[in-house]
Amino acid sequence: MVVQAKKRELKEAQKRKKQLEERCKLEDSIGNAVLTWNNEILPNWETMCCSRKVRELWWQGIPPSVRGKVWSLAIGNELNITHELYDICLARAKEKWRSLSTGGAEVECEDAGFSAADREASLELIKLDISRTFPSLCIFQQGGPYHDTLHSILGAYTCYRPDVGYVQGMSFIAAVLILNLDTADAFIAFSNLLNKPCQMAFFRVDHGLMLTYFAAFEVFFEENLPKLFAHFKKNNLTPDIYLIDWIFTLYSKSLPLDLACRVWDVFCRDGEEFLFRTALGILKLFEDILTKMDFIHIAQFLTKLPEDLPSEEFFTSIAAIQMQSRNKKWAQILAALQKDNREMEKGSPSLKR
Amino acid sequence: ESKTLPVIILIGDSNVGKTCVVHRFKTGQYNEKQQNTIGVDFTVRSMDIDGKRVKIQVWDTAGQERFRTITQSYYRSAHGAILAYDLTRKSTFESIPHWIHEIEKYGAANLVMMLIGNKSDSLDKRQVLFEDACTLAEKHGLLAVLETSAKEAQNIEEVFTLMAKELIARNTLQLHGENPPNSFSLDSRPVIASPSVEKTQCSC
Repeated sequence: MVVQAKKRELKEAQKRKKQLEERCKLEDSIGNAVLTWNNEILPNWETMCCSRKVRELWWQGIPPSVRGKVWSLAIGNELNITHELYDICLARAKEKWRSLSTGGAEVECEDAGFSAADREASLELIKLDISRTFPSLCIFQQGGPYHDTLHSILGAYTCYRPDVGYVQGMSFIAAVLILNLDTADAFIAFSNLLNKPCQMAFFRVDHGLMLTYFAAFEVFFEENLPKLFAHFKKNNLTPDIYLIDWIFTLYSKSLPLDLACRVWDVFCRDGEEFLFRTALGILKLFEDILTKMDFIHIAQFLTKLPEDLPSEEFFTSIAAIQMQSRNKKWAQILAALQKDNREMEKGSPSLKR
Repeated sequence: ESKTLPVIILIGDSNVGKTCVVHRFKTGQYNEKQQNTIGVDFTVRSMDIDGKRVKIQVWDTAGQERFRTITQSYYRSAHGAILAYDLTRKSTFESIPHWIHEIEKYGAANLVMMLIGNKSDSLDKRQVLFEDACTLAEKHGLLAVLETSAKEAQNIEEVFTLMAKELIARNTLQLHGENPPNSFSLDSRPVIASPSVEKTQCSC
């Protein structure tokens, strides 16, 4: 018995040692990655960002301490927004909030008519939505440390882009950026991110263009997962059912936050096509279960993904998705579909006649 | 041929508690920390209606104006619509005629509508009288009005039971009894003028 106990003890000790080693190894690799990012990649961003080595390191996930910097660089600042511009937009937003709360808005907005009422509603909505953004983190709620920051960024954006305004889903994107960047930099990244074609199409709810994105997605869906694609078709399960939430919030609402950040990492590297590749990765990961479900169970499953997604399997599954269809890449397929649409629109009056 | 289950769609302004109502209905629990809905969320649950098992789909929609062009495309497939307002915020009640108009415009002709005033746990902050809700419901020929509380589980089960019973009574719903799966298709018959369930639950 003693021998057995000793044996067990030895085994346990070995297990502990192995766990410790693994943890050290992981910490080492994160530590090394931080060093590589800080000392080698970031100072030479322009020349290094597209190298194979960096791209591979990037895929592994960006260490949280440099994540914000990398995101900022990768998203860029095509709009040339300065910290001063952010301050100006924020001041204007605060002005509006004040006039709203004192009731002076009506006079000011008289000639603006309907759009003013719309804007008022959108400022009101921001207030309501902030407390519903990552509620379980308890940092964006009233009294939480980032409540005012989130409020400021969303308010400033409605003044910067009154033509877009506030749209639900934005609060999640701003929140993820706030968790990784200082306020003004988060605003810059936020505005530039939303200015990308795919995000603009969705947040302006350009239905025609959204349908084009869904159609392009379906091309790669059929190519990568033909059996599941047929099953979805048979059950009338259209991509809008699950893609709308995923694309609007860039997965930050539907995936665990650490996984969502890793998706954002590669999204910053590869652009919009990675959002659709991720969607296919999710479908591939759950292909076996989904094939056995009917319409409503698939819809229920995909609009509320399991909370315990295995991160390694998840990324392996995404990696297995080919974003190439008959030698054509995402951008080519999308452009071709857009062209078809335009031609159809142009041709339709004569067709009707 | 269609094997779809009956669909009840939830609509109404943002933050009136639609998702909390569905969550309570599905899990029997209240989630104070509910995130806002983007697009449409889907739920399925079985119910016992007069001793028979009925499976229903609930489609929970986003409330923001901007999403209406998206959510409209889902109205067509719904058999019943639950219109929700927050009884502590008058503006959400004032939007109800607009939501009814949307349903009439984009929904199926024989769609059953009912009205719920959520957050009845905060009666001290009430801004909408139940009588006013009843008047509105009567005017538009809605099936019923109920005041609900997802927080305190008031009338949630009743809302869906009432809706399911009405759908059965209108014979658009086939029961999942001993011989599933059943097919379910949209009924194209004209709707009989007087609903078989009492018009409103005006019990106050």
